[in-house]
Amino acid sequence: MAELLWMLVILAVGLGAGFAAGRKRPGVAPAEERVADTHITGVERLAESLAPIWSAQIDSSRSQMETAISQLTEQFAGIVENLDAVLASSAGALEEGQGGTFDRSRSRLGEVVGTLDDALATKRQTVSELRNLQSLNSELRQMSGEVSAIAAQTNLLALNASIEAARIGEAGAAFGVVADEVRALAEHSLSTSERMADKVGRAASTIGTILGNAEETAAREDRAVAGANAEVQAVLDDLQQLVYGFRDSSSDLERAAAGIRSEVSQSLTNLQFQDRICQVLEHLRASMNRFAETVAEAGDRARTDGPPIDPDEALKAISASYTMDEERQAHASGRAAGVRESEITFF
Amino acid sequence: MGKTILVVDDSASVRQVVSIALKGAGYDVLQGSDGVDALKQLDGRRIHLIISDVNMPNMDGITFVAEAKKLPAYKFTPIIMLTTESQEDRKRQAQVAGAKAWVTKPFQPEQMLAAVSKLIAP
Repeated sequence: MAELLWMLVILAVGLGAGFAAGRKRPGVAPAEERVADTHITGVERLAESLAPIWSAQIDSSRSQMETAISQLTEQFAGIVENLDAVLASSAGALEEGQGGTFDRSRSRLGEVVGTLDDALATKRQTVSELRNLQSLNSELRQMSGEVSAIAAQTNLLALNASIEAARIGEAGAAFGVVADEVRALAEHSLSTSERMADKVGRAASTIGTILGNAEETAAREDRAVAGANAEVQAVLDDLQQLVYGFRDSSSDLERAAAGIRSEVSQSLTNLQFQDRICQVLEHLRASMNRFAETVAEAGDRARTDGPPIDPDEALKAISASYTMDEERQAHASGRAAGVRESEITFF
Repeated sequence: MGKTILVVDDSASVRQVVSIALKGAGYDVLQGSDGVDALKQLDGRRIHLIISDVNMPNMDGITFVAEAKKLPAYKFTPIIMLTTESQEDRKRQAQVAGAKAWVTKPFQPEQMLAAVSKLIAP
């Protein structure tokens, strides 16, 4: 576009030069001079009016683009920050899920099952003690039977002694009294032994009942604890599967989020074009303002018979204002130029 | 706590692009919109590196570098110029003012991080 403007400058300069040359030539009518002056004034007014219009249009476009790109960049930056937060949060939750909650759950459930196991062991010990008691009771019953047998034999022996004491008469009277007392003691022992056997029998019955109940309870609790162990293990297995599933899902999300972050960052990098375009537009605006000034100067020189402006000098001045290689290349070749890759120079 | 880098550019989008790349690498980032704004931030706080544009309103990047180097606290702070310009005379001006590197836009974040790492350890 700058080159087109300069064509207009050259046109204005040409008109001015022709006008100046015409005035110097003898025989040129004043009417022709007025016509040329009118043309020059028209071009000057056009240039003077167009320059601020073009500047305003460029400023407006540049401003809109800058605002839009800035907003876009802000939003992209927000997305990147949110993704960073999500990634950090996901990593924390994953670590907590794997090493924290699951391990704590396993430990606490293990403690509960351990307590049940301890209670069951105590119950088994009680059953064992009851069996020992039952065995002792059987021995007591056997001993009671032995005492009864001894009492019966003693009674028979005392009866025989009484008979012998009566047969020998007066001399055996005292021995007969002793024999009767022994017989009474034997009968008393037999009675005590029978009562003892009765008590031992009842104790055996009670112990048997308690032992039966204890064995049944212990067996039931044994099954309950075994069932609880299986249930706890199943719950832990399910929980572990859940954690693994969460971990896999979280890893997938993490990879996806990292991919999105990378793409958004790359998109942001590509938005750097705005900075370059803004500079090109700024230089273009300056060129247009310079164009209006040059046209005015060309007109003044034409009217005052001054030397024509040098378009090459003017173009050179514009070229010197460029800051980017692609601007210089486009200026020199008249064709669009590509952007060179970034270069790093260390001092 | 990460190292702090001051990013100075009149383009908000460029500041964001540079900031995201630096934050992603673990650096803390401060931002300035031109040389004058950036100088206000050189108030004695610890800044490990400065990345500055060249063409900016109010105060251009090369003037900013020269002014920053006059401050004792930032005399030895490395400065990278990040600019669309590539003229050798401008590079020499930046070098004389005290800049340590010249990076042309558009840059890739990896290139910028490599340049930063060369001047300060991450």
